Amino acid sequence: MRDRLKTLAWLGAVLVAFTLYPWAFPTKLNLGVVIVLFAGMATAWDVLGGWAGQLSLGHAALVGIGGYTLALLSLRAGVPPWWGLLAGMALTGAVAAFWGWIVFRLRGPYFVLSTIAVAEILRLVAINWKDLTGGAEGLFLRELPRPFGLDLFNRTVEFYLALAYLGVALLVAWWLSWSRFGYSLQAIREDQDSAMAMGINPTRTKILAFMVSAALTAMGGSLYAIYLSFFEPHIVLDIGLSVELALIAYIGGAGTVFGPTIGAVVLLAAGDLFRNYFQQANLLIYGILIILVVRFAPEGIVGGWHALVRRLIRPAPGVPVEVRGERP
Amino acid sequence: MTTFLQVLMTGILTGGVYALVGIGLSLIFGVMRIVNFAHGEFVALGMYASLLLFQSLGIDPYLAIPLIIVGGIVLGAVVERVFIAPIIAAPEHVSILMTVGVGLVISNLLLFGFGAHPQSIFTWYSTKTVRIAGVTFSGPLSVSFLITLAVIVGLYWVLTRTEIGRAMRATAQNRDAAELQGINTGVARMLAFGIGVALAAVSGTLLLPVLYVIPTIGGVFTLKAFVVTVLGGMGNVLGAIGGGLILGVTESLGAAYISSGYRDAFGLIAFLAVLLLRPAGLFGKSRV
Repeated sequence: MRDRLKTLAWLGAVLVAFTLYPWAFPTKLNLGVVIVLFAGMATAWDVLGGWAGQLSLGHAALVGIGGYTLALLSLRAGVPPWWGLLAGMALTGAVAAFWGWIVFRLRGPYFVLSTIAVAEILRLVAINWKDLTGGAEGLFLRELPRPFGLDLFNRTVEFYLALAYLGVALLVAWWLSWSRFGYSLQAIREDQDSAMAMGINPTRTKILAFMVSAALTAMGGSLYAIYLSFFEPHIVLDIGLSVELALIAYIGGAGTVFGPTIGAVVLLAAGDLFRNYFQQANLLIYGILIILVVRFAPEGIVGGWHALVRRLIRPAPGVPVEVRGERP
Repeated sequence: MTTFLQVLMTGILTGGVYALVGIGLSLIFGVMRIVNFAHGEFVALGMYASLLLFQSLGIDPYLAIPLIIVGGIVLGAVVERVFIAPIIAAPEHVSILMTVGVGLVISNLLLFGFGAHPQSIFTWYSTKTVRIAGVTFSGPLSVSFLITLAVIVGLYWVLTRTEIGRAMRATAQNRDAAELQGINTGVARMLAFGIGVALAAVSGTLLLPVLYVIPTIGGVFTLKAFVVTVLGGMGNVLGAIGGGLILGVTESLGAAYISSGYRDAFGLIAFLAVLLLRPAGLFGKSRV
């Protein structure tokens, strides 16, 4: 209980710290919106990828469905964006339920491959179904209604909307860190068969996690669509985006409340710093960092930080040397 | 009828190269139990290596093949030793993330070194065609198909007739039992990865005369390799040949008779169907 409240306090502190961003870096608002949005979407990815341990490399599909639903409803039917956002979340939730129902009978690498395949098929549909999606030329959100007089294309407004979204995503992750549902997911991640023996229905639990993850991702996708205002399948449905979300969460620390947010801040800020030097090759940093993380800090920056703190504050407990050797 | 034959033959020729990409992935999965998400990037690496050899030294891609094979084996073995061997016992998502990382590093280094613009080479045979019974065969693709056959026969010989081939197959069947027989499974894994990478790189060389290459082309081939290996059965090297041909023909027929925009989708749909209905692949369970 105390840990729970402590994490909640930290969560509040993180959000408050972010509210100062527009004052601290007024010239870097674009980067700020992207950092906060990607932090939210990586946290959403982490519900399935980290907490439930079901590595997905197809989340771009959910970003895309969220973005396209909002944009198409707005462009073709004049539906206001907040309804579009909710519709996108409901639609991706339903898609995830069906998608999960099909692919959760697969485990391990087969599951990962199936997520890529589904997302790629969706991308091809978006490119080829020109009457609906505008095809490869993409969609252009020219105007949106102004809720409470707020201009949705104003970067400051977008930043605080994105921050509210990150707050929702972090609250979900926080809830997973202490709820029964969260523990079920972790049990499935650690050992699906034992979890089943404990009375957890793995398929149903994973589908629920996928739906939560999907709806949250779509929420981010809708805001991303507004931020981009012009988007096409190569931006919002590409496997590169799926990989990026997964690596942000993993490098920050999968299955932790703040890991994906830390990953987003580190990776996107680094990408911005080195942009002039690396130009298009900015994913190089992702590649190098994920190799280092996998090799030396499997629990990501958060896990590595905890290990470091433990070592500095409390030296290794005085286990006699002979006991540490390999057991026969 | 001629059109149909034409489409079918083109599919088979393309499928041959797909098979070569897929066999490498399947061999690696069979021996090491890891899915190499950087596989397509090694195809791209092979393309750029051949491009460089052609542009700077004037070496014809087909003559560069022995060089590419040796280079591929060495590079693959080093990558395995440095990046994959340390995490071989970890859960499978770890090796997936590791190979994703290796792939990103390769494609972005290529971007860094060669720039994003498409490049290709023009040889005297690039546009040559052969006509047999009204069906036109692309010269380079036909040669690629023959070389693919030769490489597959060579690989089959290595796997079944040589000591190291037997070691790899034993490692694939049962790692512990292989070790008890005195097989150094570490070396077997290193070589399996090396050969897998070499096969990917050679497919890149074979495709260079008929394709434009960009640094990010690897992702396309990684996906194709997944489809080929899943159709043929993960770890089933001979199945990968069938998987490659099926993919090539499906794409070719689908693009000609249904919709060319969905060319890549047909393979993926077949892939999903096989994953869900027959996860061991279309050709049963045998491995390597």
